[in-house]
Amino acid sequence: MGPDEAEGELGALMAGYLDGRLDAFDGLYAALAGRLRGYLTSLCRDRALADDLLQDTFMQIHRSRRTYEPGRPVTPWAFAIARHVYLMNRRSTGRRVRLEDGVAAETTRRDVPRDAAAALADGDALRRALDAVPAEQREAVVLHHVEGWSFAEIAARLGIRVNAAKTRAFRGMKKMREHLAKGPR
Amino acid sequence: MAAPETLRDEVARDLAPARPLARPAVRSLALVPIALAILVGVPALHRLRYDLLAIGAFRAFGLSAIQAAVGLAIVALALRESIPGRALSKPVLAGAFAAGILVPLGVLAITMQVSLLGPLPGEWFEVGAACFRTSAFAAVPAIAVAGVLVARAFPLRPGVAGALYGLGCGLMADAGLRLYCEMSAPRHVLLAHGGAIAAATVAGMILASVVEKKRRRA
Repeated sequence: MGPDEAEGELGALMAGYLDGRLDAFDGLYAALAGRLRGYLTSLCRDRALADDLLQDTFMQIHRSRRTYEPGRPVTPWAFAIARHVYLMNRRSTGRRVRLEDGVAAETTRRDVPRDAAAALADGDALRRALDAVPAEQREAVVLHHVEGWSFAEIAARLGIRVNAAKTRAFRGMKKMREHLAKGPR
Repeated sequence: MAAPETLRDEVARDLAPARPLARPAVRSLALVPIALAILVGVPALHRLRYDLLAIGAFRAFGLSAIQAAVGLAIVALALRESIPGRALSKPVLAGAFAAGILVPLGVLAITMQVSLLGPLPGEWFEVGAACFRTSAFAAVPAIAVAGVLVARAFPLRPGVAGALYGLGCGLMADAGLRLYCEMSAPRHVLLAHGGAIAAATVAGMILASVVEKKRRRA
């Protein structure tokens, strides 16, 4: 299924959800939860926290469902809410983020498409390399190389220029490569 | 991946059909009557500027209408900013704030070409304070309505959305004020009129942030 088709399907589910259909919410959850969980995990690097934030994200999606504009892509809207939930949590708790063993492997095995999972990989080395990348660049790397977003979509969601999104992803990947080239320490 | 039962139950409890919000540009039209009321109300409550004949209809009403329209457009941007996933990019934000500064300056420059009145010596503060008060009061209803419109959406950067609608409403209020105040001396316009626009911007920013903070706690 292409990105446009997938968005069309999500849009139809969103329309049903706005009409008050619980099965549409179930469909939306099934379609988005995995990717949102992977995204939240990449931000907070804590699997248990990401699960909590995922539930908060869907509650926030529910509360603000009327802000979805029919005809527009659902994914950037949902991811923007997820990011907000993460930032609010980080602000309110001031919690130190930590990465549990096997987060990437667990997330990709359960939730994200296999080709995306391959990009994230499940090795410690790759996880550590991703960990070494500054947060802004890591976000661009995950959104582009794992979630498959275009640079235009990333730019629109982060409120930056397309070139800045490309630069962040490029520099993030470069840092990861450098980190991997150094080998395990 | 199925939704957890607790989440599903909570959603099911409150699953009434929800009507999506109209597009930001359409929603901003709710402020048109207020903009018109300001443009008509300020000179009606006080008087038209004394130099109206000297500056002509375009420099008086035309420029005020343009400034109010720019203000309305900036409010529309604030409404767009308050939709998740539609955050304004830095260049657009910079453009909006630049327009909020450059438009009144341009209006002042055009008006100054034919009329350059200033307060009498010793009256600068009194006249300036009167203009600041008039503009600030005129902006209040517009800021209140814009605040409600933004709060009905979900601003992820409430300070940014608030500053934008405050700026837009400040421009609208100043568009009405300049139909009453004939002073075009740059010092007066920059401090009193510009100060009122800046105050409206800060007021919008604070209002949106406070509303959003209260909503999060609720």
